[in-house]
Amino acid sequence: MNAIFSIAKTTVGEAIRRKVLLVILLIGLLLLSIIPSLGVLSARSEQTTMISTMYAVLRFTSMLIAIILTIYMIPNEIERRTIYTILSKPVQRWQFLLGKYFGAVMALGLMIFLMSSIMLIMFKVWQQGVGLDRLLEIARQPLFYFMEMSLLAAVCIFFSTFTTPLVNFFLSIGVWGVGTVLNPLYKSIATNSGTPPFMKSLAQLITSALPNFANYDVKNPLINPGQIIENERGFFIYIVVYAIAYITGLLIVSILIFDKREV
Amino acid sequence: MATNRFRLKKTPLIVAAAMSFVAAAGLHAGLIRDFWGRNYSSDKGIVGSLAPDQILLQLFGFREFLAGILWVRADSFFDDGNYDAVLPIIQVCTILDPKQIDIFSTGMWHIAYNFTDEEQRSDRRYIPSALALGKVGTAQNPNTYELFFETGWIWYHKIDDDYHQAVRWFQAAQERPDMQQGRRNLLANALMRNNQVREAMSTYAELLDAARTSYENNPTDFSGFQIRDTLENNLDTLIVRMVQRGWLASERKDTNLAGYDTNPPFDVDFSVRVTVEDPRVLLVTGTWNVAPVGTRVRIVLRDKNLKDAVPAGLDWDVAQAVDLNIDRDTTFMQDQLFVKNRRFRRRIDMSRDPTMYPISDRSKEYVVEFYYNPRSAPPHIQDKFGFNGEGFTDKNFLMRDLRKNLIWEKGDKDPQVPAYTAKWNLKEGSGDQPLLYTKLEFSRDQLLRRGEWRTKVPSAQTKNFDAKRVANVDESVIQVPTLRATTGDE
Repeated sequence: MNAIFSIAKTTVGEAIRRKVLLVILLIGLLLLSIIPSLGVLSARSEQTTMISTMYAVLRFTSMLIAIILTIYMIPNEIERRTIYTILSKPVQRWQFLLGKYFGAVMALGLMIFLMSSIMLIMFKVWQQGVGLDRLLEIARQPLFYFMEMSLLAAVCIFFSTFTTPLVNFFLSIGVWGVGTVLNPLYKSIATNSGTPPFMKSLAQLITSALPNFANYDVKNPLINPGQIIENERGFFIYIVVYAIAYITGLLIVSILIFDKREV
Repeated sequence: MATNRFRLKKTPLIVAAAMSFVAAAGLHAGLIRDFWGRNYSSDKGIVGSLAPDQILLQLFGFREFLAGILWVRADSFFDDGNYDAVLPIIQVCTILDPKQIDIFSTGMWHIAYNFTDEEQRSDRRYIPSALALGKVGTAQNPNTYELFFETGWIWYHKIDDDYHQAVRWFQAAQERPDMQQGRRNLLANALMRNNQVREAMSTYAELLDAARTSYENNPTDFSGFQIRDTLENNLDTLIVRMVQRGWLASERKDTNLAGYDTNPPFDVDFSVRVTVEDPRVLLVTGTWNVAPVGTRVRIVLRDKNLKDAVPAGLDWDVAQAVDLNIDRDTTFMQDQLFVKNRRFRRRIDMSRDPTMYPISDRSKEYVVEFYYNPRSAPPHIQDKFGFNGEGFTDKNFLMRDLRKNLIWEKGDKDPQVPAYTAKWNLKEGSGDQPLLYTKLEFSRDQLLRRGEWRTKVPSAQTKNFDAKRVANVDESVIQVPTLRATTGDE
């Protein structure tokens, strides 16, 4: 456990020192700061547009950080041969991989926390009348983005055990992109009366098998208040369990592949 | 390398991984997917109409922002009069941000009202799409009254027929807690027009009770005072009309109704002639034996075998999804003939709008229909004709089975139908719906003055048409009937 924690800690330090991540983070922060002034462009309620656009920036920036952070982690260690130094110590490959993953998740958490804080501060500055309850409500979505990005990081780690960073980048973006529209896509197929039963079953299978990032997009009631949702807490528990189960599965497969890999 | 390498036990790990994936998939299929779709999806179904490139826009989550910017752009197109450019923007905006009520309500109004020809007649081929936009909008925003009300308003005001539909939508709007108090009495008006007079009275009475309580609780609220007085006045007027028009007597099954204005029924003696003066230009003249001003007879020109056509109208409720690509080869013109001095004379020029009235070769035959529904008559005429045309007749063209006397009734609650708080059942009301209806037929060549009709003037008329009754009239003078009792000597 100590080995995993040590590797994770080192990974967080590396992530903070990486310039490309800092640049993305900076752009994200900059965008979050200027979004409130764009609210006037909208014909709709300024607050609605502001929150939804802030969430969009937060999600997009987090996605980029999650992918760029994780796709290089293992290949870089192999390429720079630093992995030999680590594995020559009493550290197992699975510990190394888990340490890298948890390090990435911690770094992601830190960056999402930073961006969310800026988002909430800017929101409070522009919307003076907003109370603490509303701010806490708005802070809920970034928590789920963190879950989403943790799942995405697991996907990237999985790909990084057998592909190059470039291929991994496109694969991960593709999986995330598909994963964010899986639910609406399934809904369209399932509710369309013209869809053959076989296609419906296939859609059900695919949407259940692939990592479903859309589950973590729960912003709709936050930007359009007034909706009554029963047993929401239960749903939140389900999606957290879903993420843990999927991440566990991906990490186990990654460990098995990485264990066989020549380094 | 790595001498201290620990050998992993593969089988338990593979089993654990498989179990994790199966658990995740099961959790998603069983507990997450449907719940998410019900509560967090901002599409609720309309994503099915998205093109792949539009789905891409969703990926990055900037939907509400993009919709806002597009809507501002649509506004500038609207100001420039470039209405065609506004339509696709409305559609994209409603997909990107289905919670934006303004886009739906403005879009419905725009589609139903603003596509007009040179003589300010609306292009009614778009109305099913306007109503479909209302259906989509109410499904997306079931908790607020506005789109229910706006959809009801299109039925009540624009379609001005099939009033049971307006009743249904206004009733749904009424059930939403945010319904504006000042708009609530429209339900009673729609009920009256649907010949549900008793229900209209009950609605006024309920609203008046609520308004009185509201005013008592807040006596300094001037609008509350006004609403209460308006409702009192409306209810008084309705009760007076129910008495004077013999409605109460009829409900009491009185045998002698002779003393009421609605008895005996008044023969309006409708007759008409249509002449094709020039290509796509009609001159319509005719008689209507009602002296008070205020009668408007509906005239429709359409393809004879137009899909979804009903007599003097369309099946307006046919569309479930917004489709702004209307069939541009079909013709559907609707206008009104304003009666003055017991006659009407109207020149309908469609020649400047060939895209709206293509009179295309899709159809060789066209019909010109005439329709009058006493339920739509203004109150001073209904004082004679009655709420449901009890005092109205025409010896030649009265129809009793053209439109069914339909009523929407609220049934049990159905949580699966988010747009309504209850299921609605359509049933036939008691009695029939007296209407005036007739039609004349023209060929395409006649309407376009082609072939043999280049030199001959096509004309069609009802059998009872007498040209002398519409000739040599000074239309600038309106003859007002005297209200004084006459002795017969004068």
